Amino acid sequence: MAEVEETLKRIQGQKGVQGIIIVNSEGIPVKTTLDNSSTVQYAGLIHQLVMKARSTVRDIDPQNDLTFLRIRSKKNEIMIAPDKDYFLIVIQNPSD
Amino acid sequence: MFSDEASDSVTVPSVWRKQHESQRDTRGSQTSAVSRCEAEVQSVSRTSSSTQTEPEPLTQLDPEAADPPGLRDFLQRVEEEVVGELVSNARSHAFDGFQVNWGDHSQLVSCLHLLQHPVAQERGLHVTCVSWSCTGSVVACGFGRMEDGGWSTESSYVCTWNLDRRGLNPKQADLVLDVPTAVTALCCHPDQPALLAGGLYSGEVVVWDTSRTQDPVLALTGMSAESHREPVYQVSWVPLQKRGEFGVLSASSGGRVLLWTLDSDQGRFVLDAVFAFVRQQVPHGVSVKTRGGSSTVGVTSLALSPWDPDTFLVGSEGGLLLRCSFSSTTPAAVASEGQSVAPRAPAVFSFRPCSGPVHSIHCSPFHRNLFVSAGTDGLAHVHSLLQVDPLLSLRVSGSYVFQVQWSPTRPLVLAAATGQGKVQIFDLGRRSLRAAATIEQGGAGHAATSLSFNAHSPRLLAVGSTDGSVGVWQLSAALSEQRPRESSQLEQIANQVAE
Repeated sequence: MAEVEETLKRIQGQKGVQGIIIVNSEGIPVKTTLDNSSTVQYAGLIHQLVMKARSTVRDIDPQNDLTFLRIRSKKNEIMIAPDKDYFLIVIQNPSD
Repeated sequence: MFSDEASDSVTVPSVWRKQHESQRDTRGSQTSAVSRCEAEVQSVSRTSSSTQTEPEPLTQLDPEAADPPGLRDFLQRVEEEVVGELVSNARSHAFDGFQVNWGDHSQLVSCLHLLQHPVAQERGLHVTCVSWSCTGSVVACGFGRMEDGGWSTESSYVCTWNLDRRGLNPKQADLVLDVPTAVTALCCHPDQPALLAGGLYSGEVVVWDTSRTQDPVLALTGMSAESHREPVYQVSWVPLQKRGEFGVLSASSGGRVLLWTLDSDQGRFVLDAVFAFVRQQVPHGVSVKTRGGSSTVGVTSLALSPWDPDTFLVGSEGGLLLRCSFSSTTPAAVASEGQSVAPRAPAVFSFRPCSGPVHSIHCSPFHRNLFVSAGTDGLAHVHSLLQVDPLLSLRVSGSYVFQVQWSPTRPLVLAAATGQGKVQIFDLGRRSLRAAATIEQGGAGHAATSLSFNAHSPRLLAVGSTDGSVGVWQLSAALSEQRPRESSQLEQIANQVAE
């Protein structure tokens, strides 16, 4: 259990990281460093987006699969590492 | 040879002429009998019940539950990759200066509406102040005269236009309020769209309730010994201690700033605090030019700080720029004429004075220490609250600058209304200090007297000018959308030390 917290702290300590959310395969947030309402919003929206991205990649080439998703916006960048059971969402502001 | 013969007459029946009698038939019908019955009902026993929803308990993420299975392994798998991406992202310059234009390319400024009140225009009244309502759809303007030196008793108007209505007629205001004297200041309530506070040339402060059709005046200070005797150049709504309540702060050139609370049941104002400015009490003994030999410091502009509810900034006729505090307890050195509230001297810090009256001050909504001030010297000074000297002085125009305001969406943009009729929009992120865009409204010889950004639709800017018209201008996306790194550029400007 402490390992999970330590890992999250290491990621949080990187430059410009604003928040981390871990979402399970159903889209329910499991761990978060943001407040509840933002977490729920991010989890719901990003889960749908990752599913769509993954199906896009696999439709183009069934042998291929999604490994990483990055969304860059004016204010920050959202990085998503997908997996079978969980997603890791990190929000970073690179110019901080 | 010829002999008479009589022949029988022949009858030819008519083909077309018919009998005038029409055919007649007799028929009858009757409905079957309607069955009826009567019955009565009465409730014998009664019960009452009610339902009410309860607030749903928020689904809390339980922090103490054991970690779901597989979480540790998952994190071990992805940690390295994610940290690598984060590090390289923080160092990368791939997206520097990269911008996407989601909107259309449009010219920098375009005029959407030119609103006029024909009666005021015929009389040659100038627009002295404009204000947007809190919903962002109504623009209100007050008429008066800018160059009045003496006392005037001509009546004037406050007009409002609702820009979101379909039947918007630019030549006809939706609501016209008659005011007995010229209007010198106007401010819409930050929460309730129907309330409007105004300051008049006679020193009165009025609050109108535009939702009442009968008598829109909600409260009036009247001419008492405690109210202003000189024109009120600025009114603002101030949040009071009790949440949700607002008081009205008014500043006049008589050297006083008064805080009023609204007693809407009785339709009057209650004086809450009096701040008086006296030459001797200006901090640092900065040399002050005052009118005549009087020791009062006439206040021509006022700004509230959105970051610190205790601070407010004041600009005077003599060019003084002062930072004041609501909670100061120093009594003011004025002869108290038996007033109910003792006047206090709020000035805490004084900045470098300008060479003419300060017409406008505005605190930056993006940085707690920055504010901009402008006056008759044609320059807009960007000051930090912590330093005496200005950080930056922008040459706006050769003549007076009547109003200056920061943009509510782009931290580096500010707009200034000049006496030559142009509104100059500056972008501090650019290297050259020339205006990024210029709005010209009104013909030659007319001054732009007031401007206001719309907090709701940040691309709209209302400009009032001396030809009696209010122009609603739309700024391009380049001027109203925040760019990356703007906040850090603003921070750099604020941290400069003035030479």
